[in-house]
Amino acid sequence: MEDESHNNTLPNGFNTGSPESPFLKTSTTTTQHNKEQDRFLPIANVGRIMKKVIPPNGKISKDAKETVQECVSEFISFVTGEASDKCQREKRKTINGDDVIWAITTLGFEDYVEPLKTYLQKYKEIEGEKLSIPKQMRSEQRLQQHHNNYHDQNNQPFNGAYASSNLISQPPYVPTDQKFSLTFSPNSIQSQLRQQDQIDSVGHWYE
Amino acid sequence: MDHQGHSQNPSMGVVGSGAQLAYGSNPYQPGQITGPPGSVVTSVGTIQSTPAGAQLGQHQLAYQHIHQQQQHQLQQQLQQFWSNQYQEIEKVTDFKNHSLPLARIKKIMKADEDVRMISAEAPVIFARACEMFILELTLRSWNHTEENKRRTLQKNDIAAAITRTDIFDFLVDIVPREDLKDEVLASIPRGTMPVAGPADALPYCYMPPQHASQVGAAGVIMGKPVMDPNMYAQQSHPYMAPQMWPQPPDQRQSSPEH
Repeated sequence: MEDESHNNTLPNGFNTGSPESPFLKTSTTTTQHNKEQDRFLPIANVGRIMKKVIPPNGKISKDAKETVQECVSEFISFVTGEASDKCQREKRKTINGDDVIWAITTLGFEDYVEPLKTYLQKYKEIEGEKLSIPKQMRSEQRLQQHHNNYHDQNNQPFNGAYASSNLISQPPYVPTDQKFSLTFSPNSIQSQLRQQDQIDSVGHWYE
Repeated sequence: MDHQGHSQNPSMGVVGSGAQLAYGSNPYQPGQITGPPGSVVTSVGTIQSTPAGAQLGQHQLAYQHIHQQQQHQLQQQLQQFWSNQYQEIEKVTDFKNHSLPLARIKKIMKADEDVRMISAEAPVIFARACEMFILELTLRSWNHTEENKRRTLQKNDIAAAITRTDIFDFLVDIVPREDLKDEVLASIPRGTMPVAGPADALPYCYMPPQHASQVGAAGVIMGKPVMDPNMYAQQSHPYMAPQMWPQPPDQRQSSPEH
């Protein structure tokens, strides 16, 4: 069932967001439901992510998954609105990754900021190597990226780690200390310093 | 542009000390939340007619103990969750495989008519942010599932997590009034029970004790008429400056009216 749902959400287009997709018809017979589902992320993807933080013997009701689908769309709209306002104030037309992270910071999701900055930095490092690729090839890569998006594998190590954590009613302090200290390792600090340089560089660019 | 560069650094500074801020006091917040707690105390004061018996005291102690264990467990889970997030992202090398489809994210972003152009990196960042959002919301919701001795996460668990977490205030309209109303109604009488609870719960800023106490707490609802205003102060600490938000004060003001 989940596999079927997953397949149904395949995009039907090149670069832009997918138009009304004929594939969605197999999951429901009502047109309105199709349109409604387009406003949300696929329930199969959402369900898979949710399972990462509940115990193996835990279950998730369908209405809970649907509620989270709505919450995520609201989160995207909420953050996008804030980022868009910022771009307009600064008379820029394109929302970029830094704008998204800024909006997330402004809206109170402080815990998300450092991981996302690291993620964006890595993305720029990898994608930067592709800037010299001709436009046509870039389009092809984008299409490939689109295709790959829908064949994502579960993040097994993370799932295992968290499942293990939830099974222990009294998690030992030693592992916690170890993991906690890791976030302050020299590598982490250097990474943050590089991040800061990266941000300054970006800011300078826009100046 | 100078302003943008300037605004980046303070953010870095704040984030750098995030762990401390999460538990420390925020100088801006106490002033903002004097109103609602006062209202709550006033409304609760009218229920002072019933004195507390010894038996009720024992129930309080039992519930406080269970509650503290649950909060501590959630706290540890959240700490480990964020630590794992950071480590996991450090290992990321492939940006073509996402747990969420970028095309759909972009479509949702474009639903806002003011949004014109979106860089390729924005949906990539959103994919990661949404995954973290789903994980945090689910983790907090599951905490409520366990409080109710269930093994199936339900819609009302999500409603409870939204009610208890300030950064999720923007989601209040998503949950049905029934689920939300139950949670809000439960928060008033529960607050009258644990006088010692707020003090003990001081280090756990993420969740007000009265919500967790709703399990089997009916018998001691009338026991303690006084609610500690600090409860709300603690609730607000880790996330945001209330003056930035028109909605949170309204939400708190509506609570005593129920």
